[in-house]
Amino acid sequence: MQEPELHDLSDDADYAASLQQGSTSMMLRSDSVKSSSSREPEGAELVYTRDNVAIHPSSLASERISGRLKLIKQNSSLFMTWIPYKGHGSTAKLSEKDTNLYSIRAVPVSDIRSIRRHAPPLGWQYIIIVLSSGLAYPPLYFYNGGVKEFIGTIKQHVFLTRSAEDVNLFLVNDFQDPLQKTLSSLELPRAIPLAYGPSNISVDESTLVEVQGSGVNDGSSSAFHHQGRPRNKVHDPARDLSIQVLEKFSRVTKFARETTTQLFSEHHGNGYDPNYRRTNIHTPAVPGHPKKSSSVGGKVPHESPASGNSEFDELSLIWGKPRQPPLGYEEWISFLDSEGRVTDLNALRKRIFYGGLDHELRKEVWGLLLGYHSHDSTYAEREYLKSVKKSEYETIKNQWKSISLAQAKRFTKFRERKGLIEKDVVRTDRSIGFYDGDDNPNVNVLRDILLTYSFYNFDLGYCQGMSDLLSPILYVMDDESEAFWCFVALMERLGPNFNRDQNGMHSQLFALSKLVELLDGSLHNYFKQNDCLNYFFCFRWILIQFKREFQYEKTMQLWEVLWTHYLSEHLHLYLCVAILKRYRNKIIGEEMDFDTLLKFINELSGHIDLDATLRDAEALCICAGENGAACIPPGTPPSLPLDDGLLYSQQDDEVL
Amino acid sequence: MSYAYLFKYIIIGDTGVGKSCLLLQFTDKRFQPVHDLTIGVEFGARMITIDNKPIKLQIWDTAGQESFRSITRSYYRGAAGALLVYDITRRETFNHLASWLEDARQHANANMTIMLIGNKCDLAHRRAVSTEEGEQFAKEHGLIFMEASAKTAQNVEEAFIKTAASIYKKIQDGVFDVSNESYGIKVGYGGIPGPSGGRDGSSSQSGACCS
Repeated sequence: MQEPELHDLSDDADYAASLQQGSTSMMLRSDSVKSSSSREPEGAELVYTRDNVAIHPSSLASERISGRLKLIKQNSSLFMTWIPYKGHGSTAKLSEKDTNLYSIRAVPVSDIRSIRRHAPPLGWQYIIIVLSSGLAYPPLYFYNGGVKEFIGTIKQHVFLTRSAEDVNLFLVNDFQDPLQKTLSSLELPRAIPLAYGPSNISVDESTLVEVQGSGVNDGSSSAFHHQGRPRNKVHDPARDLSIQVLEKFSRVTKFARETTTQLFSEHHGNGYDPNYRRTNIHTPAVPGHPKKSSSVGGKVPHESPASGNSEFDELSLIWGKPRQPPLGYEEWISFLDSEGRVTDLNALRKRIFYGGLDHELRKEVWGLLLGYHSHDSTYAEREYLKSVKKSEYETIKNQWKSISLAQAKRFTKFRERKGLIEKDVVRTDRSIGFYDGDDNPNVNVLRDILLTYSFYNFDLGYCQGMSDLLSPILYVMDDESEAFWCFVALMERLGPNFNRDQNGMHSQLFALSKLVELLDGSLHNYFKQNDCLNYFFCFRWILIQFKREFQYEKTMQLWEVLWTHYLSEHLHLYLCVAILKRYRNKIIGEEMDFDTLLKFINELSGHIDLDATLRDAEALCICAGENGAACIPPGTPPSLPLDDGLLYSQQDDEVL
Repeated sequence: MSYAYLFKYIIIGDTGVGKSCLLLQFTDKRFQPVHDLTIGVEFGARMITIDNKPIKLQIWDTAGQESFRSITRSYYRGAAGALLVYDITRRETFNHLASWLEDARQHANANMTIMLIGNKCDLAHRRAVSTEEGEQFAKEHGLIFMEASAKTAQNVEEAFIKTAASIYKKIQDGVFDVSNESYGIKVGYGGIPGPSGGRDGSSSQSGACCS
């Protein structure tokens, strides 16, 4: 099967040249052997190793990072690792910590979608690896050659085909034929293209067992198809577009951190020296620094490369910036002037975007993020506003408090609303300590706030999902009036999610479908063919901002990140894309129909890695750029409404 | 996990009538008065036995609030059975049955079996809808009817199984083309019941089969 063709890389004109060029960096080798003699996990077999494979984070020769590229076979799976050499002098410009950010740690080769070989007439050969999640690593330059062997080795272990349109593009597990897909899940000898590597989470594993168990095809016909030559690909423009986007992305990541930093400084024009900011803001975040977990429930995933046997635990993506520890008090006050005004709102938003907040700060900062307090207000002004708003709240609350029994008898809508809210607050987060137990007063406060809100915004009223949004806010603010006004501020943006005609939801689901079309054309086509383009399977994610998908603490962290509106007001949509892309192979490979997909997405709840997904979402957002923004029509929530007229159209009597 | 057939069920009805509690009582045999309200849809599954055939029920528990109807409607597709639930202590949940039924008729398969359930029958002292009214409504609209209590488990088992038996009978009578999955029925591999009986983590329910 295509073997002669695949190994026929003798057209590598510059292969020999690259060998020669590579020799200039040979002196690094002895040093590197010692320092990077990392342990292979037990049972692992090193099947390929190449020294002096480098990435070029910037155009500066002094910032190039050399390392060792390895392919490791463990059980029947193949993993790729690239670890930069430690502590040699020539990369003094980059700290070791910076260097480590680029490490590629045990990425299952089955997670790779394509490898593109570049052989420029001058200079080193390099490859660009694109993962099936759609994300790409920076180009890997082979100073000592070895691209051919690299691809050859991979070919021995997974199903690798050369693209029909591009002889330099190699596709991993690209099965045109549904039968081939089946083969891949059956793990026939020689095929070994494990579609679901160990980097996938546990939900996958159980299903995988089921897939294998039920795959009772007889081996003979499978073998026949396996030997058959893969069909030539039909030209698929959508796929090409997708690859273009990915390649563009790859270029973005080539200068990953610098580029994005520049983007932001240009965008916000704050004139900071990117390096200055990198030193001051990024440093605390580099892998190896344990995150503060005191307030985070100790659930922070390790990013540290040194954390025991975690080498095979995670897919380490290098483009979205590493998440930082939450913003703490000391750093927070450095964003304020002596009277409490935020001096640089964008810097603050950026900081929160990358790390969230220490829990103790939330009470103070959420009001600012939500726009309840103005960022240029002083401590005193915020205190004053609190007291003014407190009495305003009491006034609104009294509107329903003062309704007598006799009046309520003649006020069906009020009774219905009250009944519905009372039914729902006792079904909201009762497993959280703050709301648990019988006659918990906080549950009553939830009720009072929601009922008061339904008078403050009578047209919108109450709709299920609101209590989910309010619950963490009340928990954080721990003050009825403050929680109410923060909720009001949030609902200014998310109110349309709860419109009777669901137009706010539909516009977001529509924008999401456009984003997927842009960022993953083939997944879009899959959804289209399977009648899934309504994206209802993402309904809960969007309606309540992923509240049911994460632990309580993680939800709060996600919300404050979303509320910064730092890269986009619609980061939540990129988050949807990021999650879908993480499971795209499974979705397509298992040919999920709408029902199966809905069930699958529902069951992801509690299994999504927030930090990794945020990084993917950030990268996708940057990658999509203006094209992404163009997918999202103006006024799509949580953007503020376009007009200042009636916020909510009058609704008919059935609505509560 | 083999089964002769898989039936897709959907549970519909006003918010707070006890849809999720009925499901939990059926799948886990427990009553949990305090659990989060349903946003969108939740899933449950259990094996039962009808006519000595293992049948897997995949049950979709939907959100009841009016605003979500446009989403909920997409869940009817391919359901073989529906449990339409009201709360015998709240008259309005009974009054809304007609609109639920209209949704079901419009968006579901015409041969879908619908079971009407008057839930919370343990709260007889707060009853606002009589049993006769429920029976009458079911009769008028061609539904199977039962009063049940998710709290005491009364008739919960029976409601789910009776619905399955009715679907099974329709298969036997040739009403469904079981090779067409839009009827909400999938044919499994386990046509012959194994000695192990029920699966899916729940106990076998061979005793309750009827029809």
